[in-house]
Amino acid sequence: MGNRSSLLLREEEIAQIQEETGFTPNQIERLYSRFTSLDRGDCGTLSREDFLRIPELAINPLGDRIVHAFFEEGCSDRVNFLQFMQVLAHFRPIKKGRDNKLNSREQKLKFAFKMYDLDNDDKISKDELLAILHMMVGANISEEQLTSIAERTILEADQNGDQMISFEEFCNALERTDVEQKMSIRFLN
Amino acid sequence: MALIWSVVSVSCSILVMPFLMFLLAIIFLASIGKSLGVRRLYVKMLLKIFEYGRENIEIAKKDRHTSCDNSENEDEDDVEGQRDKEKGSSNVTCHYLNHSNHMLHKMDRKLKNGVLANNSTSVISREDLILVPDPEQNYTSASTVNSEGDHTAVIHNFPRRRSFETLKREFELSDCLNFVKAGVEAIIEDQVTHRFEAEELKSWNLLTRTNLHYEFISWRLSFIWMVGFLMRYCFLLPVRVLICFIGVMWLTICTGIVGYVREGKFKRWLNYHVSIMCFGVLSSALSAVITYHNTENRPKCGICVANHTSPIDVLVLACDNCYALIGQRHGGFLGILQRALARASPHIWFERSEVKDREAVAKRLRQHVSDPRNPPILIFPEGTCINNTSVMQFKKGSFEVGSVIYPVAIKYDPKFGDAFWNSSRYSMMQYLYLMMTSWAIVCDVWYLPPMYQQEGESAIDFANRVKSAIARQGGLVDLMWDGQLKRMKAKPEWKEKQQEEFSKRLKIDTKKQE
Repeated sequence: MGNRSSLLLREEEIAQIQEETGFTPNQIERLYSRFTSLDRGDCGTLSREDFLRIPELAINPLGDRIVHAFFEEGCSDRVNFLQFMQVLAHFRPIKKGRDNKLNSREQKLKFAFKMYDLDNDDKISKDELLAILHMMVGANISEEQLTSIAERTILEADQNGDQMISFEEFCNALERTDVEQKMSIRFLN
Repeated sequence: MALIWSVVSVSCSILVMPFLMFLLAIIFLASIGKSLGVRRLYVKMLLKIFEYGRENIEIAKKDRHTSCDNSENEDEDDVEGQRDKEKGSSNVTCHYLNHSNHMLHKMDRKLKNGVLANNSTSVISREDLILVPDPEQNYTSASTVNSEGDHTAVIHNFPRRRSFETLKREFELSDCLNFVKAGVEAIIEDQVTHRFEAEELKSWNLLTRTNLHYEFISWRLSFIWMVGFLMRYCFLLPVRVLICFIGVMWLTICTGIVGYVREGKFKRWLNYHVSIMCFGVLSSALSAVITYHNTENRPKCGICVANHTSPIDVLVLACDNCYALIGQRHGGFLGILQRALARASPHIWFERSEVKDREAVAKRLRQHVSDPRNPPILIFPEGTCINNTSVMQFKKGSFEVGSVIYPVAIKYDPKFGDAFWNSSRYSMMQYLYLMMTSWAIVCDVWYLPPMYQQEGESAIDFANRVKSAIARQGGLVDLMWDGQLKRMKAKPEWKEKQQEEFSKRLKIDTKKQE
């Protein structure tokens, strides 16, 4: 049956995760059982393959970028449960009057920004935008058309004229977008 | 020491006679097609025990989870929560009568704030984009997910969103957000991966295997569990193993005898009754309680298709009707069984090398089906075992033959024992062991009216039509994902289709050329 290492979380661990992410103990337990079911090798951590084994994620054009977001901190090839929860916490709905550490509007925008920013230099260059466009459309649109789309997008968002989109410019460009709704997942119970 | 031995041997010899009588009685009753109704009584009793256990657990849970997660529930304007509250409140009223007043305050708080009995085992609610292999159905899937597990599921579309999305728009930086959200939702909870594991039960059925987070609830419950454990392992298991052994021998002998009869109408009649009797004996080895619905649609010829949960499906169906089986030729004991069965009735057994050759398979199917006197062939088009909460893609091979299709829906009740065979986790022997130490196998079988391939309908469309009929009848979720995802990775073509779909929605500025 495999070695189910610590199937139950310890109280301190739950408390720590609740403190950092804002999830309720119930939600933490449910997500932990999801984490363990993804962890085929029973090692307590997830690798990129574990994520991409999920069919819906594997066919998602941005699947690789999303998985990469979990591995961003540190250089390790594996994600432990705390890191897993910290990333998921970005998608908690914003609660008014509550301390939103990881799921504020700015945090959500930062997460979206990191999807585009491939080399983590806090700027989105034209090539990075082009790379993301490639991921999303595949071979269905020609190179020139994609380049013109990328150029137009940068032109519209760039305010200081450096041909790159900084995080502030990104936030301004998405000012009218309902980021709370688009980047929040409704958790039951 | 010697005294104990003599006592044991005396008691054994006293018990042996009635025991043998009991076994013979089972075989005799199976052969005349009647049953004592003992199993149904047993199942009813179990239901009462489970209900008691569930109440016990709920009381204990209320004691423990006081205010920590109540506050989180306040802002969830949950339509489902409303519904659950109504359902939950009727469960609670019987508790009011039985337990002390200090519970009342806690329960009041629970009722006001959130979901009482968690009727859904979902973690999140998915209303937007859910990616599926056929991107045109990306949005419609979202509406079917929320009605999961509901026998009267209504499938409604969200046309407003779809028509809005089909307008071509220019690319914006926020376009990636849909994919990102869909991806993260899939990481938390997706449609497919949990179909290859045993179904999660809503309340404990007193088997340790289903209660991974076993916590001590109450002395009464633990006592009941202990009694159940002893009964299952010390009484039921040996009896069932014995019956199974005898049943298999009986099957081999009977089919061997039938095999010697000359071909003709009498042989077919004999085979029909012998087959049902032998499988009836085998079904008591698992304490199977099967309810057949709509027996007027019972297949008489052609091809019978059903959703696949475990090898026991064959047993369940063969207790009511005689089928021709189709499968790979095995060596060893299973091979002997196959040869015995083949003598009595026309089954289709393949050599391993032929299995891959679809033409050969189709040819033999057609041959079998063309003779209306042959029994119907039993086929499981999913090709692999799924956990009985959903129906996955049907392979089109059996739908191309052009014969009449009799769909059958099988739904097991997981409270009494989960029949799903997780072949990556358990071997066949382990699985049988688990089956024989469960409470019982309780299932419903619905025979659906025969379906024919229509003019101009492709085999794939026909297969999907049959699949949704089976899913609807059995209260299962109709998925278009391939069951082979249990072992294989998602195909790159599916991602390419998603990319294509997205690029169709992009308005491209074709004026600029330089």
